Amino acid sequence: MGKRMESNLIPPGLTYLADNIISTQNILGITKEQSARWAEHLNLPKQAETIFFAGCGYQYSGQLEALMSLVRQIDKSVIGAELPMRFARFQKKLGLNLPGIYSKAISRGGAGEVQPLEAAIKVLRNLGISFGYLAETEPCCGAPLYQSGFREKFAANARQAYGKLKSAGVKQVISVVPYCTNALQNLFPQYIDDYDLEVKHFLEIVTEYLPSLKLRYPRKVKVTYHDPCQMVRYLNLVDEPRQILKAIEGIKLVEPEWTKGEWSTCCGGGGGFEAVFPELSQVLAVNRASELLETNPDIIITHCPGCVMQLKDGLRQLKVENVEVMDISQVIAAAMEK
Amino acid sequence: MNQKSDFKSYKKDIMGAAHNDRLRLALTRAIKSFRNNVKNALEKYPHTVELADEVKHIKEKSIPRMEELAEKAIKEIEENKGKGYIARTVDDARNIIADLVGTGKLVVTGKTMTGEEIGLRKHLEECGNEVFETDLGEFIIQQMGSRPMHILSPSIHVPREDVARLFSRIISDEITPESNIAEMVAAAREFLREKFFQADIGISGSNVVAAETGTLFIIENEGNIRLSTSAPPVHIAIVGMEKLVPTLADAYKVSEVTWRYANYTVPSYVSMISGPSKTGDIEKVTTYGAHGPKDFHVIFLDGGRTELAKYPRLKQALYCLRCGGCLYECPVFAVTAGNFGDKYFTGIGAVWAAIVNKDMEKATSIAYTCLTCGRCKQRCPMQIDVPEMIIELRKSLAEGD
Repeated sequence: MGKRMESNLIPPGLTYLADNIISTQNILGITKEQSARWAEHLNLPKQAETIFFAGCGYQYSGQLEALMSLVRQIDKSVIGAELPMRFARFQKKLGLNLPGIYSKAISRGGAGEVQPLEAAIKVLRNLGISFGYLAETEPCCGAPLYQSGFREKFAANARQAYGKLKSAGVKQVISVVPYCTNALQNLFPQYIDDYDLEVKHFLEIVTEYLPSLKLRYPRKVKVTYHDPCQMVRYLNLVDEPRQILKAIEGIKLVEPEWTKGEWSTCCGGGGGFEAVFPELSQVLAVNRASELLETNPDIIITHCPGCVMQLKDGLRQLKVENVEVMDISQVIAAAMEK
Repeated sequence: MNQKSDFKSYKKDIMGAAHNDRLRLALTRAIKSFRNNVKNALEKYPHTVELADEVKHIKEKSIPRMEELAEKAIKEIEENKGKGYIARTVDDARNIIADLVGTGKLVVTGKTMTGEEIGLRKHLEECGNEVFETDLGEFIIQQMGSRPMHILSPSIHVPREDVARLFSRIISDEITPESNIAEMVAAAREFLREKFFQADIGISGSNVVAAETGTLFIIENEGNIRLSTSAPPVHIAIVGMEKLVPTLADAYKVSEVTWRYANYTVPSYVSMISGPSKTGDIEKVTTYGAHGPKDFHVIFLDGGRTELAKYPRLKQALYCLRCGGCLYECPVFAVTAGNFGDKYFTGIGAVWAAIVNKDMEKATSIAYTCLTCGRCKQRCPMQIDVPEMIIELRKSLAEGD
């Protein structure tokens, strides 16, 4: 390899995400005014030693879904092939109005799309944990920068984000999005001296409280669980979701024979792949959905905004209408209802 | 150099494969049986998992010493009256072999990925030789004019009906689409049998080499490598330098882990070759060229490997035993086969493309096709962290080393 590579070889789909993180502190270039709306009615304190870290994925899943469906149509069409790669440059040519698409997505499904976050808040409150949320001042973890190869930018962003969290008096972070969790827990310390934030994943906390909880799902269901790559192979959170699901009355967990836990198959939405190969990513989503359907579940449960989106699309492509995709936070919240 | 169209054609191949139902069917079946076989092999010989850790340490110690081990191996091979060479570049390797082979010869080759890496068959054909691949999968691929799609099962993407059509054309019209697999295998055996004995030269690779004795270990099931390396009067082996380990005991351990993770409890054959064939049965006078080859040549290929060994996060690519297990766990490979890759397949192939073959466009395409999902690492007996390497490569692409 030479001393410096030609950065024009980097797929533009990824530089698009990277540019957004740097300019707006979220992956989609959504303005400050439009962010953190999901939590407006929850009255979470902005100042706290323990904060809930919402991340981009769940918060903007409606917008991401709208964007991906568009990109996939383009990828399959005649213009096809390399267009999504050069997405940022071509969006103007095609007359795509991204802010318009985003606000449409917000108005269309706003409340529904952020259910996993609201559910997680509800669960944490039920457990009696006190915590805050930085809302529109929450920094972006920058994981896609790292994934795409922009390590210096990632490191700079990490130091900036860490500074923000420290100056807000944060000591503990409860995170949900697997990518953010891995970034905050495992990647940040590599680039920040004396990093001292305690980062815990939402499911670790729920598991700690499990012995004292009485959980009951509103109806009897057969479920299967899809392990997101980051959860099992990066964060080693294999047992936690299983312990939780097995503790819920009314839920019967049935898993694929081979592709579970550490051997779980990627949903095809991994690490920006979907931005470079939108159509292939959909093929992989269909494959993973098919593997999970072999267990004949009523609900496919997972815990990653990317996986939720991919698996839903997989079911849609397979024209399966009687199987739901839910985030585990929603399942736990429902099981806590009296 | 046209980067745009290059990625475009790469993506076109990938998507073409992804929409090919026959390919999908062939791969789905292969993956299923591979997983079962590996599971059974590891359950029957559970010590393999610990042995793999030991082998990892052997590789970690050997890779920084490749140069020294190659020199040692050459010294031993020459003491055994063979001949050893270090080829610095792919061109050097081709030239050494082309000089040894000459022109107008009949050559048989056992499966060698290193031979594939240097484009050996094509080069020898261009030099005016006739070359037959003798591994059944390679033979099918060669006769179809295709390229290997898996490191161990090169014709993994070809369904049996297509093989029948091919054989009925090139071997015998007695083979029909109704023929069973055994009949096809028998036909190939019949066809290739005479080639082994007519051949002037046999070429092979090697799975691992013990430097202390200069011994090549070659693992196989078909028996074609035994024939290729013993019937012709000359045996030439082309071996990547990363295959060298210090001792015979090390080499045995590497071999056992390799075949077990390649889904075999035990392979039909493991050949250990250290020199030309010889006899001292008449008056104790050592005479070379008894029943096996009189001439034995081993070419150790550097071709970027010593450079790759200098990259702290990427050198682990050289620990690869080429068991092929990772390929069966890759969700992209499951729909594209070897289209996701270059000389070597899937994510790890990007490292080889970038540093060993110095093809940055190809490396970029592969690096950004990897999901970084990490299931290959989960399978790998050497625990090679492909996602880490991929992100390191992307970093080099985006920001320089």
